[in-house]
Amino acid sequence: MTVYTCMPDFESMMTCIYTAWASGLGHKNIRLELEPVGQYTLMEQYIHVDADSVIVDKVSNSIITKISNHFYNEITYCLLGFEQDRLDTVFRVLILGFAYGAQALKMLHFKDVFRLLEINKRVKNESCLFRERLHFYEMEKGLYVSHIEPKSQILITLGPAFEDRMPSENWMIVDDVHSEAIIHPKDRHFYIQKLTEDELNFLIETEKNNDNYTDLWKLFFNTIAIKERTNKKCQDNHFPIWARKHIVEFQ
Amino acid sequence: MYEIRTELTLDEKLEILSDAAKYDVACTSSGVARQGKQGYLGNSCPSGVCHTFAADGRCISLLKILMSNQCEYDCKYCKSRKSNDIPRATFTPDEICTLTIEFYKRNYIEGLFLSSGVIKNPDYTMEKMCETVRLLRTRYRFNGYIHLKVIPGASEELLYSAGLLADRISINMELPTQDSLTALAPNKNMKTILNPMNKITNTIARHRVSQGENARFDRAVINKHLNNSIFGPSNNNIPISDNHNGQIGIREINNTTTSNEGIILNDHSFALPAERSDSLLKRNFAPAGQSTQMIIGAGNETDFELIKTSQSLYRCFDLRRVFYSGYIPINDDPVLPSVGTPVPLLREHRLYQADWLLRYYGFHAEELLSETRPNFDSRIDPKCEWALRNLGDFPVEINKASYDALLRVPGIGPVSVKKIMSARRYSKITFPMLKKMGVVLKRAQYFITCNGQMLYRIPMNEQFILDQLTDMERPANLKISGPDNSFRQMNLFDDFNLSSTTSVS
Ligand code: SF4
Repeated sequence: MTVYTCMPDFESMMTCIYTAWASGLGHKNIRLELEPVGQYTLMEQYIHVDADSVIVDKVSNSIITKISNHFYNEITYCLLGFEQDRLDTVFRVLILGFAYGAQALKMLHFKDVFRLLEINKRVKNESCLFRERLHFYEMEKGLYVSHIEPKSQILITLGPAFEDRMPSENWMIVDDVHSEAIIHPKDRHFYIQKLTEDELNFLIETEKNNDNYTDLWKLFFNTIAIKERTNKKCQDNHFPIWARKHIVEFQ
Repeated sequence: MYEIRTELTLDEKLEILSDAAKYDVACTSSGVARQGKQGYLGNSCPSGVCHTFAADGRCISLLKILMSNQCEYDCKYCKSRKSNDIPRATFTPDEICTLTIEFYKRNYIEGLFLSSGVIKNPDYTMEKMCETVRLLRTRYRFNGYIHLKVIPGASEELLYSAGLLADRISINMELPTQDSLTALAPNKNMKTILNPMNKITNTIARHRVSQGENARFDRAVINKHLNNSIFGPSNNNIPISDNHNGQIGIREINNTTTSNEGIILNDHSFALPAERSDSLLKRNFAPAGQSTQMIIGAGNETDFELIKTSQSLYRCFDLRRVFYSGYIPINDDPVLPSVGTPVPLLREHRLYQADWLLRYYGFHAEELLSETRPNFDSRIDPKCEWALRNLGDFPVEINKASYDALLRVPGIGPVSVKKIMSARRYSKITFPMLKKMGVVLKRAQYFITCNGQMLYRIPMNEQFILDQLTDMERPANLKISGPDNSFRQMNLFDDFNLSSTTSVS
């Protein structure tokens, strides 16, 4: 068995898929794994693959033109996840996609298709969770900043939603885990930027300066609950504890 | 010496006026898709957005406040009623606008839900509410979601303005019968609730048609596959007559003509000059439609009356949602349940389940309940209850059954049905596949076969299945009703086959 391995960023993963595919070793004889690899075994040969943007374009185009745009989107969502088996799953589903076309995603009797849809559902839910729940604070007059700590790399999925919601405001969403930020200057398009450690630390510090509306919000939040209907379990089910880190009403 | 302050601070007002608004449950931000635009703040997402969940487990989506809790009326069930001695406050329009904008920018909320007690008279109050929302839409350039409560009895001109400024407008029905309204809300009557509701429906329909849309709102796609849906073509314009003793107050709407889309288009829309200044904002009239709320357990209405009323409201007035709010005893009043009576949470839950069955599963109120069986069984959900009464229709074969039939199986919802229909084109469906598709086999197993086989050998016996389902649902029911609720007592009596002379329901 030959194992192709790569770093868990989008470009490396797409390049890895291409390299494994082009190896000609037969799909049954290869496996794809993300680094760091959990356990190496002597029986297997490991090949590390580095990102190559030319290959990424090539793979992307071929999926879009030969299968479909929707198929491509589903695959990208899966790769944003944190599941260790996501790369191999995408590889297997691509094999089916090239064999059966876009309808492969409906063939739930293939376990890899099922797994892909399962991962996607979770990633989409996580993206939706942060889109709904993240909070901004006013770092300085007219600049709104938010910090999130997602499990998956969903930062990119938040950009369009907030650009539509607040097109004429300056805002920034910082992913503290993956050290990236979406930056949106007023009346312009957003972009994504990797943050240095200093930049990230500076931004994390500013979160401590609560603004005036934080207290008003907490007051509203506490008053609006009906005490005769208190139901902590229901609250916890709907708002997972792990996602409450930067949420003002839970501080 | 104490300093006497006449002016309340913003904090104090927010506390009083959100506390007074908390009993209103109709506060989702759903129903309209609107993109953001440069220079404005906000957009709107059709499925609604929950920004957080309060300690009572309910979603917070909008800044839900009253403009004022001063009230000239004296509805018995309401905390803000005139006869209660409580702190009173009124927001200024600017205060409401600033709170909305600042909360919105922090992603705390999706928009504003504004209601109010009746200050002076309905017109005065409605005018003030419109003024606030107009300010928010114009000077504050707010493009997010606004839900405005309509004050029954306000003039048509103001209602028209309200619809042009807000996304959703609603009039609370509160009680489904004129008798209970007379007893509990002496200043209100069915006519001042249903007349504006009817006009709002028709004005929305006219606006939609003028935009090239169907007069009726598009319901969940699933309804297109259901022959029997209350939104189906044959059901769009079923006039609702008064029921037996004139209790349900929805009168048959006269002078109705049916357009292609089946909406009741009649002369009952707001006929006002086109140059009304709010129409210059070029917004559709209440694009997210109207909704209403009914209080559960304050009067003595049955579940059958309630869901029949809801069904009529959906069909005749094309309401987007009917909300149910378990009555919370706040006022000591001989005509109401005494303070300390548990909130009927499980009953409320059953009504919501039944409401979903009407809107997404193709059921009719008359299939679920009847005059002789007017209330839902608290032990199992309404769909299971229906299935047990119709055991002859089961088991259904997963690999062959129609859309309708699959959707009527307990434990199978619209999403799973879609997956089943799609996947069975490519292979035979098995029980493990069903499980992965999200079917709740614990519930569905009694009612289905896969390739001719049931999951286990199960006797098709009503009592046997009822016992199994009751056992299974008990923990979930207790979670909803809480340990103090009468529901638990009912089960104790049922479990041991005891009969009691004291009423336990
Ligand atoms: S009109 Fe009735 S329900 Fe509304 S605030 Fe006044 S007393 Fe309460």
